[in-house]
Amino acid sequence: MANSGWPRAARWRITNFALVLGLAVTVIWSVTSASYFWPGWVWLGLTVPFALDRSLRRALRSLDQRPLAVHAALSLVLGAAGIFIWLMGGLGYFWPIWLILGLILAFATHAWVVPLFSNDRERALEERVDVLTRTRRDALDVQEAELRRVERDLHDGAQAQLVSLGMSLGMASDLLDTDPVEARRLLGEARTGAAAALAELRSLVRAIYPPVLADRGLDGAIQALVLVVPLPVETSLDLPDARLSPSVESAAYFAVAEALANVVKHSHAQSAWIRVSYGDGTLCAVVGDDGEGGADRSRGTGLQGIERRLAAFDGILHISSPPGGPTTIGMEVPCELLSPKISPS
Amino acid sequence: MRVVIAEDLALLRDGLVRLLSAHDFEVVEAVEDGPSVLTALVGHQPDVAVVDVRLPPTFTNEGLVAAIEARRQLPGLPILILSQYVEPLYARELLSDGIGGVGYLLKDRVMDVSQFVAAVRQVAGGGTVMDPEVISQLLVERSVDEPLSRLTRREHEVLALIAEGRSNAGVAAGLFVSEKAVSKHIANIFMKLDLPLSEDDNRRVMAVLAYLNARTVPPGK
Repeated sequence: MANSGWPRAARWRITNFALVLGLAVTVIWSVTSASYFWPGWVWLGLTVPFALDRSLRRALRSLDQRPLAVHAALSLVLGAAGIFIWLMGGLGYFWPIWLILGLILAFATHAWVVPLFSNDRERALEERVDVLTRTRRDALDVQEAELRRVERDLHDGAQAQLVSLGMSLGMASDLLDTDPVEARRLLGEARTGAAAALAELRSLVRAIYPPVLADRGLDGAIQALVLVVPLPVETSLDLPDARLSPSVESAAYFAVAEALANVVKHSHAQSAWIRVSYGDGTLCAVVGDDGEGGADRSRGTGLQGIERRLAAFDGILHISSPPGGPTTIGMEVPCELLSPKISPS
Repeated sequence: MRVVIAEDLALLRDGLVRLLSAHDFEVVEAVEDGPSVLTALVGHQPDVAVVDVRLPPTFTNEGLVAAIEARRQLPGLPILILSQYVEPLYARELLSDGIGGVGYLLKDRVMDVSQFVAAVRQVAGGGTVMDPEVISQLLVERSVDEPLSRLTRREHEVLALIAEGRSNAGVAAGLFVSEKAVSKHIANIFMKLDLPLSEDDNRRVMAVLAYLNARTVPPGK
């Protein structure tokens, strides 16, 4: 706000001009030695715009209470002008008291009464901003932690494997003529190392974004997931032919994967089921099992991670898991559809 | 033996061409994108094809899709699919026509040249080759009352090797036991899983893989 309006140089020129004008009329008044100090009116006329300019500038800088600050600034200028006029008018009855009282009353109304009737929309928007601020920060934190993990895994895993592989190859080439047996052993070691590096990279990629999700979308990826879960899982997938947003697909996939992993690890269930559907712009997924229950988001980071990840899309997670079971973990994520997918075969 | 190669990365494509040419294969065409795969497969009708799953333009699974379509048009066309990762779901799709002459291997397996070449020849001969990782993902035990849990450890190992497409001799060599012992294990396994016993390697692989796949609930859609 401070930079809006006229440039600084222009403001300076106008200020100087006003000062010169005010001084000039004062000099004229003193030369003509009139008794009534009429230049006061000129000073008033010159001062009010400056006072308004300055105080409004300050008021507009305030972020959360801007309307109230503007109101206060205008009231102050108006009150001061009233007192000045009273002074110029030769004192007497202090009528500006009414003006000042009126201004105070108006300001008080604005400050205390209006907020009581302020509309719900504004409050809803404020809450929304709070939620967005929090979930955005959480989403960025999650992403940051994920990138760190990937970096660390690459550094300690594949990169180290490749360094050792290079060393084995170098040593093998040195020994090729003098000790072919040892060279052959080193070459075999290098091949094992390369295979280990590949396996490491593969599991890393899978944890970042499972290739089957890119290939087949959410329904294909969940089918692939179910195929390797050591439990009978009844699946009911009712998804449209159009793809969902990749980030929502990925969040939903990892949520289902985590829920299934919990079933396998903790529930002692005999069977599980998954229901995924899309309707009214919302993706719903529910994972249930016939295990012993007791799943709790405060225990372990898995469910909390899902919750934070879903929250970035305004998604919610509900958990029902009484002691003794059964457990259902449901998620709802609002999301829009992309173009129809390219269907295999 | 005439072979078609489909691989988009020049480094790997050249490597495969060199490797297979060095082992008496004749590379009739090496293509690098999805649309050309089907044309090349159907056009050349090679003795065997080595196809990467992920190819341009969408970089998803067009290699697999083209392979399945080519085998629909030319049943039994031997195709070996290579991939940076294996997905049992794709294995099931490849095997679904039940004809054999298919392979599905991790790209890592190329590093063991002799085994890789043997796998290509096995597919060309109508056999089935599955990556050990596919099998290990499918071999997870689900519950205690499942037939699979009645197998002994050794029988588990034998089952895994059969599912990969190995012959009795191959299984015996892998486990350092006699072929006779292997046939005994196999007879036990097939009895426990209630599968029809067959001397034909390919039919045997199919039976085992069908069994492993059937334990999963069919797709919901």
